[in-house]
Parts: sequence; structure tokens; C-alpha cells
Amino acid sequence: MVELSEKLVKGEGRFVDDIQMPGMLYLGFARSQYARARILRISGAQLTHKEVNFDIAEVGEGATEGGSELLKHPVLAKDYAGYVGQPVAAVYSDDRYVAEDLIDSVDIEYEPMKAIVDPEDSISREEMYPGVKSNAIVDRYFGDDFTPDSTDIVIERKMVNRRIATNPIEPRGVVAAYDGNKLTVWVSTQSAHAIKEGLSEALKMEPDRIRVVQVDTGGAFGLKGGLFPEYVVACYLAMKEKRPVKWIETRREHLLASRPGRGAVAKLKLFAKKDGTITGLKGEVIVDNGAFTGGSGEFSPIFIVKQLAGAYHLPNAYVRALSVLTNKAPQGPYRGAGRPEAMYFIERLMDGLADKLKMDPVELRLRNAATETYTSPLGFQVEKSRPFLESAIRELNYEKYKGKENVGFALLILYHATFGGESARIKVEDGKVRVWTGGNAHGQRHDVFIKTLLNEELGVSEDHVEVMKGDTDMLAEGVGAWGSRSSMVLSSAVIVAARKIREQIEKKQGKYTVQALLAGKWDHYEYFNYDRMESSLGANLVTADVDDYGRVKVKDCLSYYDLGRVLDPDNARGQNAGGAVQGIGQVLSEELSFDEDGLPLITSISDAGVLSADLVPRFDIKFHKSESPLPSKAKGVGEAPTIGVPIALSRAIELATGKTILETPIKPEYLLPVEKE
Amino acid sequence: MNPPTFEYFAPTGIDEVIDILAKYPGEAKILAGGQSILPLLKSRISSIPYLVSLSEIKGMSYVVEGKDGVKIGSMTIDSDLENSDLIEKRFPILHDATKQLADPLVRNVGTIGGNLSHADPANDLPAVMISLGARFTIRGKKGSREVEARDFFMDTFTTALEPDEILTEVYIPFWGRNSGGAYVKFKKNTWNFSVAAVAVQLELDGNTCKKAQIATTAVSPKSGRVESAEKHLVGKPLTDDVIKKAAEEVAASAEPVTDSYGSEEYKREILKRITREAIKKAISRAGGN
Repeated sequence: MVELSEKLVKGEGRFVDDIQMPGMLYLGFARSQYARARILRISGAQLTHKEVNFDIAEVGEGATEGGSELLKHPVLAKDYAGYVGQPVAAVYSDDRYVAEDLIDSVDIEYEPMKAIVDPEDSISREEMYPGVKSNAIVDRYFGDDFTPDSTDIVIERKMVNRRIATNPIEPRGVVAAYDGNKLTVWVSTQSAHAIKEGLSEALKMEPDRIRVVQVDTGGAFGLKGGLFPEYVVACYLAMKEKRPVKWIETRREHLLASRPGRGAVAKLKLFAKKDGTITGLKGEVIVDNGAFTGGSGEFSPIFIVKQLAGAYHLPNAYVRALSVLTNKAPQGPYRGAGRPEAMYFIERLMDGLADKLKMDPVELRLRNAATETYTSPLGFQVEKSRPFLESAIRELNYEKYKGKENVGFALLILYHATFGGESARIKVEDGKVRVWTGGNAHGQRHDVFIKTLLNEELGVSEDHVEVMKGDTDMLAEGVGAWGSRSSMVLSSAVIVAARKIREQIEKKQGKYTVQALLAGKWDHYEYFNYDRMESSLGANLVTADVDDYGRVKVKDCLSYYDLGRVLDPDNARGQNAGGAVQGIGQVLSEELSFDEDGLPLITSISDAGVLSADLVPRFDIKFHKSESPLPSKAKGVGEAPTIGVPIALSRAIELATGKTILETPIKPEYLLPVEKE
Repeated sequence: MNPPTFEYFAPTGIDEVIDILAKYPGEAKILAGGQSILPLLKSRISSIPYLVSLSEIKGMSYVVEGKDGVKIGSMTIDSDLENSDLIEKRFPILHDATKQLADPLVRNVGTIGGNLSHADPANDLPAVMISLGARFTIRGKKGSREVEARDFFMDTFTTALEPDEILTEVYIPFWGRNSGGAYVKFKKNTWNFSVAAVAVQLELDGNTCKKAQIATTAVSPKSGRVESAEKHLVGKPLTDDVIKKAAEEVAASAEPVTDSYGSEEYKREILKRITREAIKKAISRAGGN
């Protein structure tokens, strides 16, 4: 049952940096020291843009034709550096130590420019690139403008979720090798297929000449779904030198130059009647995109705004979605990726409204919870939430805490990335059932539920089943493991593939038996198509105290999430606790901060604010089980705690200190109580 | 995260260490537990051409009780100090510090000599040694000498050690019967350096303060005595008002800088509050009220 995780914690995994090959070259990058600068001259580098002339991303909306090319992330900087840590030049050696020495010998001459750091300033500043219409790469309105009733109560708040590094325990890394025709890439990733597609596009190479293999992956949290400049350079070098090339990210590089998440500001007005019934929402959401496209900044503000009804009945809404250029690394998905931001904004408004009306915040939520499934004016379908909320209030024992503890409550809707479906292949040979899937574990336990499902569908015991890692040569297509896809569409692909195998056997032998399965040779590839975005509801209750120094002690962290069918309770609980810890980290300490010149202030893991074990609270994890329409009947859980916990914890701290909490992380000094003289 | 090239020595005797240090003045550095120097090398903040390890030298790790004080070998690891009953009983202030120093993994390797010789103003042991009035034995080409802890720390990462010298022993004198001390550390995360920390060692005569030695961590370019604050305490009954004034003086005389740990004002405010806490704890340990 636990062999995989035991293997990993005992040091028996095979991570990308464990790969050793004869003749391996080690790649290193000289990176920009400036947030915004012209590059005048580069000397001492082995690879520069002159030779490695590739880009990463498609262009975003709102950019003009002329300027749009400049928005693409070059794998090595051209004549412009847009953030501290941007790869400018590459060096390599067959000795890892020498490769690092070579980085120090690269000399780059810059002409620094005044950086654009604050996303709220970006639009009023000069254009970052010649030819772009403005610094907003996304600027769209959702909903319809409306005139609020003059007697309505208004809650107006500016709320901020500052940037956070994803910080998986294993940073990014890649090994590339080339045999003269085919490029093979071993990578720590959430999606072998996405890396293959990205490489094919960036290198302008035929897809069938690229094979991407996922190795044991030590955490990803959204970061490792995409392609990075460093990977393209590694592949280029492997083909140029016809030698294997390895690049492993340092933690410092991770903090500077991987794609951090969050980075969103909301300025919103919530309108309501005096009885607490909400009537409308107006305002804007600004995402801190960074200097180039290729992360999630082109998509993120739209996704956030569409969710802003929360789980409530919101009759009117008119909200602007903005993504703006700043001199920082491109923003990317981080566990929840737009979901935690959206729910934080609407839920903190709801708490503010409750305070203004002197209503109990949970009572206010009950009043507004959707009584029927409907499509919000902002675009997303909001599922009927009132019955769930009623059971959540009971299951989380809210009445017991109310008035006695500093208790925060969050109601959330989790939109699953089910669209696009997923692939699975089952191949039986020599008595062994091997399974490949489009998305793969990067710290979860896909093997556990896949074995459970195969046992149910085919009656085969788990010791006959081997769950393989992502490999584009073994599976024609695939999407990836994020957005709760695995428990929903991946599991469904496995179920459908298993049923097809059963059919094959029945067709050939008249009757299905496990013996026939294991004795024969069977192979089925299934692409399970799904074009709907499913959702599920969740609730959190968090209690906290704050001491005389402003130190927060998170006490109880309760969750109640709708998982549909719970495929693997242990794993679901693990996901829940891990996500909650990340949620607490977001509120208390995790941040990538910058000075006014765009220089990063966080360059070491010790300053990144990752939560330490002594701050982990007591968990109580409960599941609601309302089955999804998918063959697996499951819903998702991975993102739920990073959505709900920051909301509930912020409220608990608000009650403990009497201070309004509208930003994450909360600066410790904000919480320091003033002493009475 | 790989260091630049260096030459590695692992001599078996102190004289040999001193010879190597003297041969490469300023270029050779001592590797004790490596908890500061290795991160500096690996992150390439520093480049050190010659690294002299003390790992092969025997007899440098000990905690021995003498008639007037305790002798500690400079290669004694932090967790041995943390787990020493003698230290806990005689110098609770040092016990306070060692049990909060970094994390257990660091404490199992980091040494007292390394912690002091590195002279990082955010390290915990300099302030504790200054407040206890410790003396350090130093050996070099010219022989052996003793330096008071308060004279040892010259500036950030700078000590009274000459390039050919090594700290071999720490001597902490016993304090009188009615004495006690406390080290109060305020940190963001359990493994982090301090936002601010303070060491207070007191000797009482009834309820009156006979002697006070106060030093701070992480709020000034170097750890040093805060004599202006000590003056507020010495010769006075330790009332809340006296304690408050001394704490205010500690905060006022500090030189914290704004960084990702907090603003200058915040650090002063924290320092003021932890100083009050430390003084009260020290009084209680000294048998006062």
C-alpha cells in the first residue's frame, strides 16, 4: 500500500538529479542582476541569444502586432533583461563545479532602466516595450454594468495576495540526450506531454523526434506543468554537442526565476440590502504578470474574475480583469492558481459585510448561498450551495466555536480543470498489467487509486499492476496532473480503458477472467474526452490566537470538502494537511518581496517563509460525498485547502487582534499589539 | 550550489593548524562544524582558497567544571552544550540560547568556537558570552593569549583573532550566589535567525541589582555590552519602572536595519519587549521577585 512513498522517503527514488550518464555536460546560467536593463555586451559566455535564438511563449491579449514579439520570453535574453534572475547567457562543462565557476566568469554590461515594480502603477507608467498599446496584457470587463440601489450597503475593499514561490522540495531540473535523430528528455514534471509540445514548438522540431520521460518528481504545485527557458537551452546543447546535458535549479534560482504564484490585487465593492442579501459586485482585479508571457498571467485575471460570485447568488456584477507588465519573473500557477485568490476576495468581502451589518458571518453566508444552480453574471456556473453549507455548519461544529474562540469560516467553490479530458493506456504482457496515464504523480499517490480501480474493473490484484511514469513514447497524447484532474478525468480514463480491455477479452474468449487477462497480451489506449468544467463545494473552520508579540498560533484547522467518491482516503487526508500548511504559510509568512528597484529581497529558503512544523495546527478532516457525473464518481481536493484555509485563518486573526486583514502574508508588525502605557 | 575550488587540510594538531593559517594569512580559514562557512562557500558569497578542518584533532570537545568556572573546548557542538546538566544548572542563559540555536540538525554539527569566531551579529552565542563575562583562549604563532568576550567581537564578521590565530577554549566564570540570566530570542520561524534577541545576566543583593551585563543579537553590526542600559539597573531596586527604562535604553541604543524580517521600528519595539521579559526572567532565576 505504501511502497512508493516509502521508496521516496528512504532515498530510493530516482529523481532527475540522480541520473548519471557518461559524457554528461552540466549547464549553468548567468542571470540578470537588474530588474530592467538594456544589455550592451556579453563576454565570457559559451551560449547567448545570438546562437540560441528561441522563445518560449505565445503572446497575450491586448498586445499590438509590433510589440507582441517582445512579450515572448526569450530562452536567453536578447538586448533586454526584464527581471532579476532572467537567463542571459549559458555556460557548460563536464564538471559541475567548473560549470558554476564559468557562470562567475561571464561578464555582462548593462544599462539599467527604472524598473516597474508595483502592479498598481504599471498602467500609468511608460510602456515596457516599444509598440505595445499599454502595459496591460489583459484588460477585459466581465458582467454588465448596473446601477446599485441607492439604499444598498456598500463594502469597499482593496485586497492583496502577494507573490509566493511554489517551493517544491525538489526544484526544477532536466536531463536531455540526443542520438542524432531523437531527443530524449528526462524531467521533473506534472506533464511529459506539455513539455514535449512546448519543446517541439520552441525548437521548431517535429514532435515525433522528441521523447519526454517523467522521473520521480518531488513536488510541483503547478510550477512543473510548463516549459522553461533552461530546458530549451539544455535540449539545444544536447543536440549541438551530441552529449547528455543536465541542468538542476538551485533554490536561489528557484526564488528568483521560476514562476511564482498569487500576485493579485483586487479593488472591489460589494453591494447588499440591509438584511444582508447581496445585490452586486463591481471593481477590478489586477494580476502582477511579470515581464514576459509564458506563465499564467494571460489567463489568471480572467479565471479569477469569473469565479468572484463565490458559492453565492450574485444577481449583478461588472468587474475588470487586468494583467499588467512588471519587472519580475512571469507569474505562474501555484496550488489553486486563481481559485484561492478569487475566493479570498469574495469571502473577505462577505466577512466585512457581516461586520458592517453586525451579523454572524456564517448566517450571512447562509442567506446568500445559492439555492439553485445558476450561471453567475461573471461567467461561471455556481452550484447550489445552501444544502452543503447547512451540513458544513453542522459537521464543522460551528455553533460550538462561535463566540468562544477566534473562529474563521470559509465557504468555497473549487472549479476543477476537468476540461480537455485525459488519456490512459493499459498494456498486459507476461502476467504484468502496466498502466500509463497522461498526468502523473508529483508527490501524490496515483498508483494507489489506479490499482484500486483496476481491481474493481478487472479483478486483478495490485501486485500484478505496475503504474508507470509519464512517457510520451508510450502514450500518444496526454494533458497533465493539475487542477484536480487526476481523481476525475484521469481515473475515468483508466476505468474506460479497463472496460475496453475487458471487452477485448470477452470478444476473443467469450468470457472475461483474470486468468485470461494475465495469460494474454492486451493493449488499449484510451483518450477520455471531457469538455465540461466540474466544480465542488468545500468549507473550512480555523481557530487562532495571537500573543503579546503578535505571533499567531493556529489552533484547530477543520475541513469539510465534497470529494464525491473518495478514491484514496489516506491520500486525500495527506493532500488536505499539506495544502492547509501551504495556506497557513500564505497568510503568515510566505512571500517573494521586492525593493523599489525590483531587486528581490528573498533569495534564500530560510527567508522564504515556508511554514515550520512547530506552527502546524490540529487537523480535523471530513469528507462530503456527493458523486460527480464522471465514471470515477470522484471530485477533486488538491486545491481546496489552499483556497479555504487562508480565508478562515485571516478571519480568525482578525477576531483575535481586532485588526482588519486584507493582505497575505500579514506583516508580523501589523499584528504587534500596541502596549497600554 | 557548489563551492569554488579550495585546498583542504585536515591536520591532527593545533600547531599544524596555526602553521597553515600563518602560511596563507587571510586566505586560510578554519572549518569547524561548517554551519556558516559551507553555506557561504556553496552559495558563492565567499571564496576561501584554503580550508583547515579541525575534524582530525582530538581533545577539543569538552565541558569541564573547575573551581571558579567552566571550561569549554572550542570544538564542543551546540547540542552538547544544550544537553549539559552543568550548563543548564550554572548558566541557564546559555542553555536558553543553545536550545533555540538554529535547529537540531545544525546544533548537532555546529560548534561553540565556530559560532563565536564567525562573529555574525545574528549568531546567538556572542551576546551570551559577553553577558556572562566569558574569556576566550586564543592560540597563534606568538603563543597563547586570553581575550575578554566583550573585546573579541570587533565588527560584523570581524574578531580580535589575528590571521594565524585560533580560538581554542571558552572559559565562563561562575557568578555569585544571587545571580541569574536569561536569553530571549524572537524569530520568525523556528529555524530562522533572530529578528532580535537579548542576553541579560544579573547579580542581586536582596531586591537591588548589584551587577548587570546585557548584550544583544541581530540588532547591531556587532554584539556588544549595552552599558547605558546596565546603568539603569545597577544599584537600584528592580521595580517595573526601572526594568522598563533599561529595556527602553536597550532598544534605543540598538542599530537595527529594515529588511525582510521587519522594519527598524518593529525590531526596536520587539527588542524592548523581549528585554523586559529577559530581565524579569533573570531576576527570577537570581532568586529575586
